[in-house]
Formats: sequence, C-alpha cells, structure tokens
Amino acid sequence: MEVLNSLDFATAWAGLYPTLLEGFGVVIQATIMGFILALILGILVAIGRISKFKVLNGVLVFIIEIIRGTPLLVQLVYMYYVVPLLLTITASFFGFEQQIQIDALTAGIVGLGVNYGAYLSEVFRSAIISIDVGQTEAALALGFTGKQTLLRIIMPQAFKNAVPTLGNYLVMMVKDTSLLAYITVAELLLRTKAYTSQTFLTIESYTILAGAYLVISVPLSQLVRIIERKMKR
Amino acid sequence: MLNIKKLKKSFGDLEVLKDISLLVEQGEVVTIIGPSGSGKSTFLRCMNLLERPTRGEIFYKGSNICDVTFRPEKYRKEVGMVFQRFNLFPMHTVLENVTYAPIHLKKVKKEAAKKEGLELLDKVGLKDKANVYPNTLSGGQQQRVAIARALAMNPEMLLFDEPTSALDPELVGEVLEVMKKLAKDGMTMVVVTHEMEFARDVSDRVIFMADGYIVEEGAPNEIFTNPKNQRTKDFLSRVL
Repeated sequence: MEVLNSLDFATAWAGLYPTLLEGFGVVIQATIMGFILALILGILVAIGRISKFKVLNGVLVFIIEIIRGTPLLVQLVYMYYVVPLLLTITASFFGFEQQIQIDALTAGIVGLGVNYGAYLSEVFRSAIISIDVGQTEAALALGFTGKQTLLRIIMPQAFKNAVPTLGNYLVMMVKDTSLLAYITVAELLLRTKAYTSQTFLTIESYTILAGAYLVISVPLSQLVRIIERKMKR
Repeated sequence: MLNIKKLKKSFGDLEVLKDISLLVEQGEVVTIIGPSGSGKSTFLRCMNLLERPTRGEIFYKGSNICDVTFRPEKYRKEVGMVFQRFNLFPMHTVLENVTYAPIHLKKVKKEAAKKEGLELLDKVGLKDKANVYPNTLSGGQQQRVAIARALAMNPEMLLFDEPTSALDPELVGEVLEVMKKLAKDGMTMVVVTHEMEFARDVSDRVIFMADGYIVEEGAPNEIFTNPKNQRTKDFLSRVL
C-alpha cells in the first residue's frame, strides 16, 4: 500500500508528455515510411513470385525464408551496425575510402520495410491467386496484354481484398517501432527509458508508455475493422 | 473469316482435340454441340488463343494466329468472347464494364465511349442498369452486359462459350434473344451450346463433336432431322 500511495503520475505525465509527443512524430514517420516501403516491396516480390521465371521465384523464396526465419530485432541491428560496414568494405573495393553510415531512423525504416515486405508479399501473392481466373481470361479476351491485365484488372481487386489484412499489419508495425529503441532511435520507449533513469518513476513512466501505444493502436484497429465491415457489403 | 486446319490440343498426356478442321465464313453462325468432355470448349478457347493449340494452324486475315511470333492482343480485339460465367469486372459499374476496353485499348474518348456503351446496353435491354454494379444483377442480366462488353470493341466475330449454361432456366431466354438479334444483324458467331433449339433455329451450320473430333457437320435441318452418324443419333436422342 505504501508503494501505491507514493505513486506520482502527475509528475511523470508532466515530464513525459512533451518528449512522448515528439516521439509520436518519430513513430508515425517510421510507420508510414516503413509501411510504404513494405507495400512496394511486397507488391514487387508478389509479382515476381507469380511470374513465369522459376529462378527469380526461387531466389525470392530463399530471401523471404531468411527474413521470416530471423527476428525483426536482429534484422534491425544488422541493418544499423552491419550493413554500413558491408557497404564500406564494398565501397573500398571500388576505390572509395569512406566510412559509410546510416542514421538510426533510416536503418530502422528500411529494416521494418524489408521485414514487413516479406510478410506482405505473401499477403499480396495469395490475394492475387485468389482472384477468379475468369477475370484474367475476360481481360485477355478483350485484347489486354498479360501485364495490363495484371495491373489494371487483377491487382486492384487483389489489393482491395487484402486491405483488412494490410490494416492488421499496419497496427503491428506501429507497435514494432518500439524495437527501434534498441538501435538508438528516439521513439517512445527510448524516451521513456531516459526519463525513468533520471527520475526513477518506473511504474508511472512505463504505464504511461503502454497507454501511449494503446492510444494509437486501439483507434487504428477499430478503423481497420470498420473498413473491413464496409468492404464486406 | 477463320480457317482452322488440323488442330490438335493436348493437356499433358490427355489429347483433347485430335484433328479438327473448320472453315468459318463471314456472317455465319456456327454452333458446336456434343457431349461433355468432347472438347467443344477447348476448341473454342483455341480460337482466341486462351488455349494454345499443340499443333495445327488457324488462319485469320491471311496470318496464322498459332504462329509463335503472332501477338494475340490485336487479334483478340477483333474477336470477342462471351464466357459461361460472365466474368464481369466486379469493381466497375455496368457501363464501365462496357466502356473499359474501348477507352483503354482503342483510346476512344470517354464521352464517346459512354454514349456508345449506353447504346449497346440499350440494345441488350439494360440501359437502366448502367450505373449499378454487376453483383446486383441476375445471371441473365450479367450475361447480357458481358455481350455488350464484347460488342463494345466492335468485333468482327464473337465466340460464345456455353453462354447460358450457368443460368437459371427462366433466364436463358433473354440471353438467347440477344444472341438471335446479333445473328440477324449479320455478326459472325461461333457458339458452344447445350441449347438445341438455338442451334436448330438460329445457326447456319451445326458441328457435332465427340472425343476430340468433329463427327458430323451440316445445316441444322440435316443434323437434327436426319443425322447420319450413330454417335450424333445417340446424342440427339438423349437431349431432344
């Protein structure tokens, strides 16, 4: 009881509020850019996987397996610490003696984008496959080329069907931005941690942090559900 | 218009079309009848290269469309197809379904395409449905839209793949009515169908297929009243 009485949420809130608000901006930036990257990669990989080129398909499956088989946190660390080193070595190979660095947020966005891209490619692939083959035949019979058929007739329908699933991944990505704290991105978790280590308001700070995530993710999931229901009509 | 020579088509080890030759004249209505699995639909799909023939030639305006270097897109703009399951584009309205290909493939101006689209919908009796989505229509209505969509490309010839087989019986008539009108207007048509009345009353020539061959062909009167081949006799006695 002693502990509960000594809780000071008011102080913690006053201290955290400004910095969390800034962190919000970082979370939103990382999520939006990461998700756009994931969408682009996902669509491209899905198209590559349904193409006739067996070798391309095999290479893509291999890469997807690597990404899905390793933790996101490890990939983020890899992107932030290892990839710059590899790039530096590669550059020196071509005679450019320069230390290449990637700033933390960029590494985080690319890491999130690549990881989610691998999962979204499967979402898109199954969405494309699930479109009735009659749609393709009808478009071809009208004189559209295979490429036009895919882009104009199949993809819009597949994308529409995929929207609810994409929405769920978006909510997941918002929460996964907390992993960026590990590679020094000043998002919500890192800011809270810094505040806590100065004030020792541990219970208050992390509770507020959890609440902050809920404030983003709950309305977002509701929105996804509304869109899902609208589209079923 | 279409000269088909010694066509063969196999799916793996299964030979579906064994040796088929057929000449379709301009303005002619040819119906293809026969038992299920006889290769009728495959034959029709070969005519627009939705299936690539394994062997044989199909000549259209002097070029062999089965040639590997032949680009099917231009040909398909001139040879329309109507499917058993309509295959309308669900994300577009009825009118957009009809105008979509002319706008994107023939670069017809939107307004002109709309005007022509409405005329075509009027022709198939669905002008009032122009702005609804296909999933609100009955099967018969959807198929009539599909016919209007094919007509919008101003085709030289239309292929019908069992256009009434997926319809409730009471909706078959309205689709056949539209097809009869087309036939009367001189459209070249090849129709795979189970509607024997349509084959008898509308077509200029009836093809009877069985086991991947054309077993018998001739004027509808001959085929229906005086079939020569035993398989044709058996088939007709079962369906008539």
